[in-house]
Amino acid sequence: MSFGERLKRDFSTMTLVLIPVAIVINIVVGQIVAALKLPVFLDSIGTVLVAVLAGPWAGLVTGTLSNVIWSMVANPDAIYWTPVAAIIGLIAGLCAKYGLFREWWKVIVTGVLVSLAAAVASAFISVWLYGGITASGISFVTIYLVESGRGLIESVFAASFIVEPIDKIITCLAAWGIIKGMSLRYVSRFPRAENVSA
Amino acid sequence: MNETIGLYIDRDSPLHRLNPLTKVVFTICIVILGFISPWAWITFAIPVLILIPMSFWGQIGVPYLRALLKIVVPLALILLVMQSLFLPGETTWFRFWFLSVEYESVERSLTLVSRLVSMTASFILFLFSTHPSRLMTDLTRRGVSPIVTYLFISTIQLIPLMRTKANTIMDAQRARGLETEGNIVTRSKALMPMLAPLVFGSLVDVEERAIAIEARAFRVPGKRTHLTIVPDSQAQHLFRIALIVLTVVLIGVRLWLSLTS
Amino acid sequence: MAIIDIVDLSYTYPHTNQPALRTINLSIEEGSFVALIGANGAGKSTLCYTITGFVPHFFQGEFHGTVTIAGKDLKSSELKDMVTTASLVFQKPQNQISGTKFTVFDEVAFGLENLGVPREEMIKRIERALELTGIAHLAERSPYALSGGQQQRLAFASMLAMDTPILVLDEPTSQLDPIGSREVFEVVERLTDEGKTVIMAEHKLEWIAAFADRVVVLDEGSILLDGTPDEVLTSSLLVENDIGSTRYTSVARAAQEQALAPQNANLPISLEQAERFFKQA
Repeated sequence: MSFGERLKRDFSTMTLVLIPVAIVINIVVGQIVAALKLPVFLDSIGTVLVAVLAGPWAGLVTGTLSNVIWSMVANPDAIYWTPVAAIIGLIAGLCAKYGLFREWWKVIVTGVLVSLAAAVASAFISVWLYGGITASGISFVTIYLVESGRGLIESVFAASFIVEPIDKIITCLAAWGIIKGMSLRYVSRFPRAENVSA
Repeated sequence: MNETIGLYIDRDSPLHRLNPLTKVVFTICIVILGFISPWAWITFAIPVLILIPMSFWGQIGVPYLRALLKIVVPLALILLVMQSLFLPGETTWFRFWFLSVEYESVERSLTLVSRLVSMTASFILFLFSTHPSRLMTDLTRRGVSPIVTYLFISTIQLIPLMRTKANTIMDAQRARGLETEGNIVTRSKALMPMLAPLVFGSLVDVEERAIAIEARAFRVPGKRTHLTIVPDSQAQHLFRIALIVLTVVLIGVRLWLSLTS
Repeated sequence: MAIIDIVDLSYTYPHTNQPALRTINLSIEEGSFVALIGANGAGKSTLCYTITGFVPHFFQGEFHGTVTIAGKDLKSSELKDMVTTASLVFQKPQNQISGTKFTVFDEVAFGLENLGVPREEMIKRIERALELTGIAHLAERSPYALSGGQQQRLAFASMLAMDTPILVLDEPTSQLDPIGSREVFEVVERLTDEGKTVIMAEHKLEWIAAFADRVVVLDEGSILLDGTPDEVLTSSLLVENDIGSTRYTSVARAAQEQALAPQNANLPISLEQAERFFKQA
């Protein structure tokens, strides 16, 4: 199947209707988690869900749009981190494509890979736009690392690398749990159902 | 329009009446100018001399100033302080306990912060004065895929619906005795009973909603027509071209300056 | 001329064991109003999906038989060919809101924009649809700010504006009160007078008795009965298979059982018939 045909199949009508639902799941879950004052974000569960069910490009679109809409309705500063959200969708989708979403321990591996990619993307944006100091909690860790003699990019990367994995692992497991909770009949309505069942 | 969509503020002002594409081009050019400007004070001048007066022209001056003070200014100040202290630099300006501020770090911070301020301020002005529906209607007429419009607008309209559902579920679960305060374990346990009904409830509807838009010929190929035409003018068209040309020229000037210095 | 011709149709949804439709043979004339009745799960919705092409093109699954809709063979067509022939309205009104429009008026326009209907024509059709469904006064309101009944009327209006030769309605009055239900049936009657073909799956038997030309009863995927309302709605098979009866029929039957009314009289399905029936008693 050519790339164009694959893309068309990935963006089936079911996918198109899933994406807004997934984005709103991102937003609402993120808010509930914040309201419960838990030390994670969990604002990409929907993105990963779409990535697994409809492929990496659909995941990328979901992450991008999710971030853009979030910055339109809540926090304009979030827009600068759109590439991070996009990469989460892309990498999760690629991992799923290569079978990393079939068993729970493989899902954890996906979580780690996704967090790595997110950390790299975050580091670049952080350094480019903020000189590495963004006034979030990660920055304090960055500062500590810089003062201890590490280079700036490495420090930012290392700082994000401490926080991200836990969040992304839980995110991927949550998405996996949701898919497991869906009937086989329903999962097979989506273009990349083969990502979850052999 | 019945409800506030995110940050949009409804007014009948010249700024609001501008064609959305004009505002898009304007915002993008301002962002680019912020990046290529060689001095931070020019970039800082953009919101002060251009954007704030425009907000008053758009009858949203007061809410705009309030938003800047709430969203932009505090972050800018924090960043200035943090970055001046911790960004690397050579020439020490003054020492403070174990911390030091260098001229270079202050300069770098001013550059970075001015960019962020200018970008965020222009983005906020755009959001305040452009209704997403008008934006998407215009872009679709100009050739942007209706799929983009669908994804964008249906998400925006879905958010308040889900929020209501989420609140209902939260209240219902609390009424059933779910503990949402306490230590982290208690709070974590509260997550699943709150999320599961919400998530599965919305996923179930996906199939029917897909059938519904298919039945309304959403995926039928061919030329589409448009009920609403967002007005545009020759003047705005020329203005957009002028802005783009100006921006390209300034990019060229900046490149030439940095190459010859 | 049969606008819908179904020959030996059997269909099974993917990942299920039981067929949803078994050897259906049904031929529907243009301009008729056919009601589909049956218990939940009998296959009414599946048949509605078939006439509109969603079975098999949206759901996939195992499809046997020949279905011809307005001259087009269903199996070899695509979904996009079918949407301009038969439009669909189903039970949950909130799921039928596109979500891309901020007013009721624009929402009705959605399908017409997709079809490329010229603007003046679009406006005419929308205004007529809103008029027919009684929601013209809600034109500027958000589709999400409507009651369930109003949303159901909106779904109906959106379908009417598409102006397809065949209209398929799956329980279109579930959220409507008796007056609202009557209005739907009256609009449908008007449409069939204009030559449209209407297939409606419904539970409200009194309205079917009053308005439908033909009643098809589905039971576990097969056609149990097929005939005029008088023939079908008085049949004892309906009672045996728990499908229900009109209140007039129930009362009359009860009267027969109590030997209060003659056993050989035709059971009534409407008020007028009931009056005549009980005059004989």
